Amino acid sequence: MTTTGRAGAGPREAPPTPSSSDRDEHVWRNRFSKWDVKYMPYVLISPFFILFGVFGLFPLIYNGVVSLRTWRLDNPAADGWAGLENYRKLFGDSDFWNALYNTFGIFVVATIPQLLIALILAGLLNRKLRATTTFRMGVLVPYITPIAASTLIFASVFANRYGVADQLLKAIGLGPVDWRAERWSSWTAISIMVDWRWIGYMTLIYLAAMQSVSREIYEAAAIDGAGPQRQFWSLTVPLIRPTIVFTAVIATIGMMQLFTEPLLFDSNTAAASGGSAHQFQTVALLIYQTGWKNLNLGYAAAMSWVMFVIIVALAAVNAFLTNRLGRGK
Amino acid sequence: MAIATTLVATASLVGLTACSGGSSSSPSGSNAPITLTLNNWGEFGFAPLVKQYEKDHPNITIKINNGDYNTQHQNLQKFLVAGSGAPDIAMSDEGYIVQFRGQADKFVDLNTLGAKDYNTKFLDWDWKSGTATSGQQFAIGDDVGGLAMCYRRDLFAKAGLPSDRAKVSALWPTWNDFIATGEKYVAGSGGKKFVDSGVNIFNPAMRQQQVGYFDKNDTLTMDQGPKVAWGIATDIIAKNLSANIPTETPGWSAGMQNGDYAVLACPSWMLARIKSLAPATTGQWDIADMPGGGGNWGGSFFMIPKQGKHIQESWDVIKYLLSPDSQISIFKNAGLLPAQPALYANPDLLNFKNPFFNNAPVGVIFTTSAKNFTYQYQGLKMGVVRTAVENDLTQVMQGKLNAQNGWTAAVADAKKAAAN
Repeated sequence: MTTTGRAGAGPREAPPTPSSSDRDEHVWRNRFSKWDVKYMPYVLISPFFILFGVFGLFPLIYNGVVSLRTWRLDNPAADGWAGLENYRKLFGDSDFWNALYNTFGIFVVATIPQLLIALILAGLLNRKLRATTTFRMGVLVPYITPIAASTLIFASVFANRYGVADQLLKAIGLGPVDWRAERWSSWTAISIMVDWRWIGYMTLIYLAAMQSVSREIYEAAAIDGAGPQRQFWSLTVPLIRPTIVFTAVIATIGMMQLFTEPLLFDSNTAAASGGSAHQFQTVALLIYQTGWKNLNLGYAAAMSWVMFVIIVALAAVNAFLTNRLGRGK
Repeated sequence: MAIATTLVATASLVGLTACSGGSSSSPSGSNAPITLTLNNWGEFGFAPLVKQYEKDHPNITIKINNGDYNTQHQNLQKFLVAGSGAPDIAMSDEGYIVQFRGQADKFVDLNTLGAKDYNTKFLDWDWKSGTATSGQQFAIGDDVGGLAMCYRRDLFAKAGLPSDRAKVSALWPTWNDFIATGEKYVAGSGGKKFVDSGVNIFNPAMRQQQVGYFDKNDTLTMDQGPKVAWGIATDIIAKNLSANIPTETPGWSAGMQNGDYAVLACPSWMLARIKSLAPATTGQWDIADMPGGGGNWGGSFFMIPKQGKHIQESWDVIKYLLSPDSQISIFKNAGLLPAQPALYANPDLLNFKNPFFNNAPVGVIFTTSAKNFTYQYQGLKMGVVRTAVENDLTQVMQGKLNAQNGWTAAVADAKKAAAN
């Protein structure tokens, strides 16, 4: 903003000018300056909200409207108002409950080892090591690889009979496993994929939290005779409990939306069925299949809204737990 | 003051660009420059033809947007829903054509542009694939896949079976003969597997039946064609003739190189796949006829989305690409078979031999299979029903179901998919 006024003329100073046009100009500038101070902060943060409104809020509401209608791409004649019919159908749909079971199952199987290993790794990285920066950056490299690329390579690793995983099993005397055939094997393979990506990320979050723990506590514990193991589990872990809860929230929200790994793990990715018996079909994958393979957009929208409500409920539960734990300190 | 000036200047600039940017539809017929877009995947051999067309029509530029097979079809679907963004000339593979048939109202009826003149020039089943229930011609075929049975001569010879092309074709005129040959192969080769996957036998056998998943009234009929094909496929699996490897997986390519299976149902476009995946097996493959008669797997179609701005010009380009000279050029450059049987008498096609496949006369073999293929009505929901049934067949291959309870599951899943 350029001003041609006298140097030192502030926004609240009354301008003493003789001519009327001059006076008008000063009054206008005065008003503009007041507006600037009061409203500029809102203007500066508005881009985010405008983008959120267009790409976040509007699709959310539009999706809700679509879920209350019948909208099939393969039968345009059937389009119209459906009310809660899609939701009624959803609660009796065994495919949806199967997908929900898979989603929660993979969440549990993947997240518990993920957070445990990340915790231990962070504890190890917290010590005095050589080349600490290399280790800390190295542990994050899986997180920055493109997700489709890493999933396709893992799909090759878990190939039946010829993949690296089966070759390793053969080397230690066990038979080959058809990883995609059963629930337990496909959940294990997908969990390995997910953990490989996320352990590094979680490790660095824990590491940051651990480094804010004051050293005096460890010195006092050492004087009392606590070894490093005892110090870790009885001191460090309880002290970073809020961080652990935070990572649990992130993991929950992320795992509920698991999509790319189950999609690309299947032998026939175009069908999006999540296995021959839907053994690893997550809810996000089912929504994709319903909307773009079965071409039933209304039903897919209803599924999306139910998932949205479930994720919000889980996040609320997590937030409640965080508050309780926080108050307890 | 400066801010106000900037604001006014910006507003007027936006206004000017809005005024001048409105000429998206130019007058047809005149020499106004037009750009046409065509979306496809893989190799179609269009490049030299497009160059020639642009030379003959200096005001027309054709932009070919080549992408991934699945992505191109999914994007076309999204453009149709959005109402804009579709190419002037859209292409669809046989695998997706039924999905677009259900939305035929979004494509131009080519009969209104004069496609009726082409009616008799095309294979009848290919022409019918592009006809919607209302009778409008929403698509016109570019090429077909045909279907034959590729086999490994060396493995056949080692197992005590004849390896000459004609003799092998005579081994299996029916599917039962095919299964019997498979048992002989397994016995003679010491336990090696015959076919790569039950699914790759199920699908060709399905398409040879008179009635497919749906009858002409779009009612689900599982107990005709599907039941016969299911019986053949599960028989093969039960007799341990199948290596149970899903197509296009690392195990499938490895199996091709290592000889884990001795036969492979191949359309004409599979030949290039085999050559690129297992180059060391050159000369060891040959091609025999399909058991049970003719067949077809794959093929592509031209469509003109209604939302396009240059309908007549797009149709002119399509007519050019469908002309006999263009179709022969496509065959020579990309190996794709024309959908117009009159061209099969062309000596370039007839005499074409593939050295990788022991100089098999591929032109003759695949065009014969395409001509012997009979029309089978494809219901609008056949895509999802087929996925459901294939999943249950895969469970039989994985040992989770047997032929009987697998069939019960397949019927139930098909009903559910069709009703969804």
